[in-house]
Amino acid sequence: MGVISSLGDSPALLHSALCQGRTALHPVQEPGFDDLTCRQAGHISAFHPEVYLPEKNLRPLDRTGQLVVCAAKLALVNSGWTADKLGAHDVGLVLGTMFGSVHTISKFDRHALIQGPSYASPMDFANTVINAAAGQTAIWHKLRGINSTIACGSTSGLVALGYATDLIRYGHQIAVLAGGADEFCFESFCGFERAGLLYGNGEGRPVPFDHRRTGFALGEAAGLLMLEDWEAAVSRGANILAEIRGYGSTYNPVSDQSGNESDAIVRAIQAATEDAALSLVEIDCISASANGSVNLDRDEAFAVKTLWNGYSSLVPITAIKSMVGETLGASGVLQAIDLVETMRTGQLPGIAGLDEFEPTLPSLDICRHERSIRVRSGLVNSIGFDGHACALLISKPQDPN
Amino acid sequence: MTSTTAVVVTGIGLVTPIGTGRQRFWDALMAGHSGFGPVKSFDTGGFGVHLGAEIADFNPRDYVFALDPETIGRSSHLAIAAARLALQDGLLELDKTDRRRAGVCVGTTSGEPHFIERFDDHYVSGELERVGKEFITRYPCHVVPGHVAKELGLAGEAMMIPTACAAGNYAIAHASDLLRARKTDFMLAGGADSFSRITYTGFARLGAIAPEVCQPFDRNRKGMVPGEGAAMLLLELKERAIARGARIYCEIGGYGLSCDAHHMTAAHPQGEGAARAMNIALTKSGVAPSQVDYISAHGTGTPTNDRLETIAVKKTFGQLAYEIPISSIKSMLGHTMGAASAIEAAACALAITEGRIPPTMNWVSKDPECDLDYVPNVSRARDVRVAMNNAYAFGGNNSSLILTASSA
Amino acid sequence: MMDTQSIKTIIKQSISRVTGIPAETISDSASYEGDLGLDSLSILEIAVDVENHFKFQASDDELTSIRTVEETVDLVRRRLCAEVA
Repeated sequence: MGVISSLGDSPALLHSALCQGRTALHPVQEPGFDDLTCRQAGHISAFHPEVYLPEKNLRPLDRTGQLVVCAAKLALVNSGWTADKLGAHDVGLVLGTMFGSVHTISKFDRHALIQGPSYASPMDFANTVINAAAGQTAIWHKLRGINSTIACGSTSGLVALGYATDLIRYGHQIAVLAGGADEFCFESFCGFERAGLLYGNGEGRPVPFDHRRTGFALGEAAGLLMLEDWEAAVSRGANILAEIRGYGSTYNPVSDQSGNESDAIVRAIQAATEDAALSLVEIDCISASANGSVNLDRDEAFAVKTLWNGYSSLVPITAIKSMVGETLGASGVLQAIDLVETMRTGQLPGIAGLDEFEPTLPSLDICRHERSIRVRSGLVNSIGFDGHACALLISKPQDPN
Repeated sequence: MTSTTAVVVTGIGLVTPIGTGRQRFWDALMAGHSGFGPVKSFDTGGFGVHLGAEIADFNPRDYVFALDPETIGRSSHLAIAAARLALQDGLLELDKTDRRRAGVCVGTTSGEPHFIERFDDHYVSGELERVGKEFITRYPCHVVPGHVAKELGLAGEAMMIPTACAAGNYAIAHASDLLRARKTDFMLAGGADSFSRITYTGFARLGAIAPEVCQPFDRNRKGMVPGEGAAMLLLELKERAIARGARIYCEIGGYGLSCDAHHMTAAHPQGEGAARAMNIALTKSGVAPSQVDYISAHGTGTPTNDRLETIAVKKTFGQLAYEIPISSIKSMLGHTMGAASAIEAAACALAITEGRIPPTMNWVSKDPECDLDYVPNVSRARDVRVAMNNAYAFGGNNSSLILTASSA
Repeated sequence: MMDTQSIKTIIKQSISRVTGIPAETISDSASYEGDLGLDSLSILEIAVDVENHFKFQASDDELTSIRTVEETVDLVRRRLCAEVA
């Protein structure tokens, strides 16, 4: 696993920060943001790509490309895929992203508008395609297998993990680097603010399930998991961290942001359990998609209650976006990474800043503070504000004996 | 040879610069019609080139009913139109199906570029306050399959695969996997892109746009012509198609996807990745190279692509390459970006059912480095049992899709 | 017309922006591909940046034919003379 986030650049650091309840939110001080009312975000202030790739010229990459190339480096090192091994196999790459880089697209367009089309930047143009980061990462790390990009809004990363899992199951690839990324930039920040989806300012609270929540805080990250065929991983002596058991991906065709996504979420979770051949009682915790959105958090809470209603014990729920913010294409992947760390460490992060759980929501086992937990299987939810829902089930690796 | 768990094409929907609807499109393709003309969507005064392949006379109100066309972008209009046409062509009434098991998968290069272009216009004029709340609900590319799903009431997966100029093949490949795994019953899969100032500017700056004509594989070819369009294939398992008495155009065989991992905008000089994709597609389909009756080329018309693509085909097929007709319909349609390989897949499906191969138009003189049979200028009768659809994209993405005749 | 040294400085600044290599370490005879390890896209980026700075428009053939710093200087000089003439 490899991750570049505002709470750390390793799964262990990220998980530790989440367990401590640390927030990634800090003031947005970059020039050009002054007219926007939302003043805090979870952007990565100190991202230095040359730290991860010291020997190479990183200028042809834009920020999204740099985040992904660096996260890929970390994941490849962490999983033991050396340059020699990569040379001998065609490893794939599947990247989920909401925007690719809308900043690069806008910059390219504006430069051409101001200077004239004959002075448009060729290098920027190459990065305007939404699959640019995946292409750049393949070049940098010699990933010659299936290279795909998935765009399903904020569910992109989790859907990418499901898509990559299927590539392996159906025999198309033995190994695939899969995950998601979205950078923090003015263009998307402005767009979300105009849409009234950000938590705002002053009295605003980007806290999942909170009684006074007003919207989400925008973050940024890149996260990648090295997924491999089980037998191939065992035979190369890989350290197996977890198993992806199954996933479900659905859409709500009547989505209108009024708070009617529950059915799509229920169906996604049901599809995941069917795909995984796991029953609800076997799920030991849920990493919720909840990010402080008034309607989506409610829809998710009701969906979980609908499914688990009648079971004697409720399943513990955490929501890491309370700390790391809404990282869009990377969000589901950060949740998955944290779930794997939870399985390893036996600690589930709490939902930082949750003062009062909204009284009109159904009662759930909400994890407010870090707690010890034994997780054999966990559920990751990823829900978009405009209709997409995805659920992924991960289990601790089973001892074949 | 073909089993009932094969994935089949039962409906085709097309919106293209040479015609909308399967029959109009095919007739125009066979007659060698050109979709090129001076760009009308924006002022190309500051450019050294002015040729485009835009769709004239498209009225979204003919196809968009549930959603308000004013509230969604042109790529969504085109995708919805192609989807409706595919459903009508396939005689599928969604009301009689389980909509939770009907999904959509779209490929694109730009998504909905007009909205970021308007954002930038405001940005450059210092009028960012004019950016409204609808930017975030109309611009990000995932809204295109979302709008198709909303318009038609589809509740299965709604996915966007933005792998640029190879995206249509990726979408069809993914849809076929979902169907084989029985995760869904029906899929609308294809691609959509609307004419984009950003795309045009970029290709013009790379010197890739032809000044007067698109002539793939010709000795004097000077480049590609950016265009727009959409295609959707209605896909389902053969057993279901037979059970509901649907007309079967062809089967989707296997596919091969690979990455050059070499350069962002130029293909591998020895065609290595493209040849790998072709070989994987053949292997997965259980088809021998000698069984391929037609190759639909990526054939953009740029000096480099056509030369490298020819190398890749020879690398894959050896001497057999000289016996397989290979044509580029971009010679008529221009490069419709994310829609291209979906439109080309539709053309392959029709080649199989109609027993005719589309020509490469505007071919005048032979390039010694492009010496294969490009079906110059005139369509040709041929029994096509196996077609291969190739498409390549920025980022070194290579794709090959095999379509085969379906025996009952 | 601008002197050759100033033209070189501007070109090297452009190269530096694209490569991250400090301008003062780039030799006059450096070749883009061989010495600086640049691909065709980066070379075109430098060429367009230089065009933009000097406000001329080279033909596509001219842009794709420059291979070294010196050749770029020659192109700029030719173009600046042409604009003035």
